Amino acid sequence: MAEADLALALAAAAMLLLRAIGLLVAGALRPDHPLVAWAAAVSQATLAAFVALAVAVPGGAVAGLPWPARLAGLAVGLLAWRLLGERLLPALGAGIAALLLVRWVLQ
Amino acid sequence: MGNRQADIEAAIGGDSMASRLPVARWLTVLPCGVAEWRAGMCASPLLAPLRPGALAALGAPAIAMGATFLAFGAAVAAAGRGLGWALGASLLVYGMAGQLVLLQVGGVVPAALGATIANARFLPMALALAPWLGSGGRRWLALPFIAITPWAAAMRVLPGLPAPTRLPWFLGFALVSWLMAGLATAAGHAAAPLLSPLLLAALLFTNPLYFALLLAAELRRPAQRRAILAGVLLAPVALWLPPAWGLLGAGLLGGTLAFLLGLRRGGG
Repeated sequence: MAEADLALALAAAAMLLLRAIGLLVAGALRPDHPLVAWAAAVSQATLAAFVALAVAVPGGAVAGLPWPARLAGLAVGLLAWRLLGERLLPALGAGIAALLLVRWVLQ
Repeated sequence: MGNRQADIEAAIGGDSMASRLPVARWLTVLPCGVAEWRAGMCASPLLAPLRPGALAALGAPAIAMGATFLAFGAAVAAAGRGLGWALGASLLVYGMAGQLVLLQVGGVVPAALGATIANARFLPMALALAPWLGSGGRRWLALPFIAITPWAAAMRVLPGLPAPTRLPWFLGFALVSWLMAGLATAAGHAAAPLLSPLLLAALLFTNPLYFALLLAAELRRPAQRRAILAGVLLAPVALWLPPAWGLLGAGLLGGTLAFLLGLRRGGG
């Protein structure tokens, strides 16, 4: 087995284990249990940090987009979401359109 | 309850536009009785309970996931790895941060360990989700599908649904998302030579934008608002930690702080 395949197999097994521990531990708990509330807070904070980092200091291909374009994409997406009855699909489209427009203007 | 469910499904993107997609039309054959099923008029009565979740996954969630996994498929092809590896990473790891670590980091142990740490959020996510999936053994059906998109949708929708319909809703949503991830990965792998770096970047940006919109809707609820604001404010912590640990560190710190603040204020 090639190195990349072995790494993939190990990572896939580890992912299942992480999910399984969560289901096993919390399966018998009520949704308002403090452990569940803490886990939900950590998950929400992780997701929020992911978004903040992906916009402010992204890695990979997104890093090639200028920061004003990324910021415009986020701002227009949120504004469209607010103005268009909190519908995700049009807001997503508006955000990506703003991102590409600002990037085109800046190039 | 019907209006409430329509509201929350619209809020996560399962809107009328989604219901006009070809797959949605196919899904309309699912909720039928045994007689229709015997007459060959529907796929299976067993799948009918999955339909609301499956429909909710179409639209914005499917587009956000599809765009991201399309870009991942193209990145795998550009790295010279095969379609089988790309599909394995998307469907078995099923968490983009870990997938990217696997793709970019060399060596078996560093790559596997880095991917595991990068996706360690699956543990608190499963912890938070499990109580909403019921206490029976059937909740283990959800095991491979716990990832950001289904989790974020489920945490908004499941509390508003009757208990017996929660697990089927999650499985319907998760199956469509998972299949979308696989299809988009394969499409991206095939279309890699046709995708410009700008298009790839825009596709990848769809994912954080989608999550930002989901989080915006959560800001009305005090506990969620505290966690989201703490996560944003403490995101710079990630820059001080090794890359694979950064996101988890910021989330752990921000989430724990938000949780403790909530306790001080008496919950809510």
